[in-house]
Amino acid sequence: MGFTLQGVEEIASLHGEPDWLLERRRNAFDVFERLPMPSRIDEEWRRTDVSGLDMAKFSEFEHRNGAGPAEALEGVAGTVTMRGSEIEAVRLDPELAGAGVVLEPISVAAKTHPELLETLLFTQVRAERDRFAALHAAFFADGTFLYVPDGVVIDKPIVGQVFSAEGGTAVLPHTLIVAGRGSRFNYLDEYLSPADEAAGYKSGSAELFLGEAASVGYVALQKWGRNAWHLADQRARLDKDASLRLFNVTLGARFSKTRVEASLQGQGAEAELKAIYFASGEQFFDFHTLQDHQVGNTRSDLLFKGALQDVARTVYAGLIRIEKGAARSDAYQANRNLVLSDHAKATSIPMLEIDNNDVRCTHGATVGPVDPQHLFYLRSRGIPETTAKRMIVQGFFGDVLERIPFEHARRLIETELEARLG
Amino acid sequence: MADFEIKDLRASVEGKEILKGVTLAINKGEVHAVMGPNGSGKSTLSHTLMGHPGYTVDGGEVIFKGQNVLALEPDERARLGMFLALQYPVVVPGISMTNFLRTALNAKRGYDGKDKSKQVTPKEFRSLLKSELEVLHMDDSFLPRYINDGFSGGEKKRAEILQMAILKPEIAILDETDSGLDIDSIKFVADAVNRMRGPDLGVLIITHYTRILQFIKPDFVHVLVDGKFVLSGGPEIADRLEKTGYSEWAEADEPAVLKPEEVA
Ligand SMILES: Nc1ncnc2c1ncn2[C@@H]1O[C@H](COP(=O)(O)OP(=O)(O)O)[C@@H](O)[C@H]1O
Ligand SMILES: [Mg+2]
Repeated sequence: MGFTLQGVEEIASLHGEPDWLLERRRNAFDVFERLPMPSRIDEEWRRTDVSGLDMAKFSEFEHRNGAGPAEALEGVAGTVTMRGSEIEAVRLDPELAGAGVVLEPISVAAKTHPELLETLLFTQVRAERDRFAALHAAFFADGTFLYVPDGVVIDKPIVGQVFSAEGGTAVLPHTLIVAGRGSRFNYLDEYLSPADEAAGYKSGSAELFLGEAASVGYVALQKWGRNAWHLADQRARLDKDASLRLFNVTLGARFSKTRVEASLQGQGAEAELKAIYFASGEQFFDFHTLQDHQVGNTRSDLLFKGALQDVARTVYAGLIRIEKGAARSDAYQANRNLVLSDHAKATSIPMLEIDNNDVRCTHGATVGPVDPQHLFYLRSRGIPETTAKRMIVQGFFGDVLERIPFEHARRLIETELEARLG
Repeated sequence: MADFEIKDLRASVEGKEILKGVTLAINKGEVHAVMGPNGSGKSTLSHTLMGHPGYTVDGGEVIFKGQNVLALEPDERARLGMFLALQYPVVVPGISMTNFLRTALNAKRGYDGKDKSKQVTPKEFRSLLKSELEVLHMDDSFLPRYINDGFSGGEKKRAEILQMAILKPEIAILDETDSGLDIDSIKFVADAVNRMRGPDLGVLIITHYTRILQFIKPDFVHVLVDGKFVLSGGPEIADRLEKTGYSEWAEADEPAVLKPEEVA
């Protein structure tokens, strides 16, 4: 296979996809062919260098491979497991299935629930956005479709895990979540591959649709191997009174670019967008965020916290957009960076676009080292420097970390922090 | 040879010479008070002894357990048995008092995350905390809070002494632990320190005012002016300062007792 029209048709026929989906893939492929590689002339890519990325090198799909079995997750309401590009298993609490909850591979749901997928798939994460989004929409391998009917409340989280182990391939999973009116649940995507996996191309995009008064927690935890190229979009649409708590956790990949966007389309909608990122070695992370207040009485609260060490670099650029009619909206945005080495560099660019005066809006960015007073205080009590630094970094992430609604994910993050901080 | 010997210690801050040759010998079992007007170098002395990176040692040595501690990192000094109660305790967001105290105690006992036998057990830790909290009239609502976060001035100072009580140092330096405290808090703090007094502990109590010395009786008093001791002797020196203040040293004409309206 390759990133060709023939490749598009092969995937579609492999899954037996309906015509509308093949058509959608073909259109995305046209966009992919038409759009140039972004260059540093484009504002969004000014600090983000993709000139070293030769996508053609990674145009083979990763198949289910030799990686060992996933650890069985406990305390979950459902799981979707993917290896490389293939779905391995889907499990859902039968009681929830009985209540009308749908948890299926997208390749299956395209046939069983066309009324939802045909209207929604790739309407938030759009192929036209850039060449990478187009590639993802044309060639996405498969992924999770979750539908939670009106009024259904799920206490335990539902978890999607994508494992990769081969390198040299493309791994392009997609997530589509539809939350019915008044539904409440938490969903986590975990993207995992061994740290030393050879370079490959990975996406991992998610579209979320929150119906009226739905309350959804969404976590995307990216821990691909340290050579990967990762380009992904996470975008949510919120109807009236819906509330979203989104957590982006970025730990892996050599190059990672993620857009995190919330589109507040109904009065009373509320989006909380949080991130934890830790860049080490030669990692480069780029985050572009959008808090799009399209109507009034909406609220968004963004907090992106990152730590950097070695020669890592990060770029955060966040836009708050408040449209003309969106009076009495509140928007907050903060990006905090803890720089643990002299050679690491964090760039933070807040942007505002406000067409209404009757709003409350604050933003702030900080970039700085560990406070030497904090370090001295801990060390003066006998705590060794490495331990003290680790405690300070863990403390820095603590307020975001403790709100991630799944113990397994929190532990995974804590273990990674500890491993990196010696 | 005393247990803790400061010899001709000279130190500067941001290129400015502050300590101009301080010499002092402390034995375990003794309480020494260092008194001095504002800006005389008291906190410079306490920070330099503990190895704060903002203070530069220009000369001298500090010998404790056969080592020149000036060559050690702050955490090494602490594990060797030194403790500094800061004049201005630091707020560290994100780390709970419990985590802080437990990690510090484990570090003191040489637990490095491997040899579990050195680790303080939850039960031992709880009972240790409970008895020390009682002495200091603190309740355990402190423990889940972040280090000194939102603590009042008095709570911060008491929390410093709580740390001292748990870490059981052999040389404790208390830097103006009394300043900003109401009389009750001073009594609680003094009770806690007096309980720890004994043959295993040497104390250097730094203060501007004589008040705390009514509760923690010093064996020796030293007066620091402009980075040097100008007078050393027994507790009678505190009485003398109580009357005359620092006026004997012309450029430091400050009282050494609080004005009635300053006594909370
Ligand atoms: N961080 C600092 N930066 C600049 N000057 C300092 C700093 N700390 C102390 N000093 C100066 O050093 C001198 C002694 O200060 P300090 O040791 O704090 O005195 P004390 O504790 O006796 O009031 C003062 O003149 C003070 O201004
Ligand atoms: Mg002072």
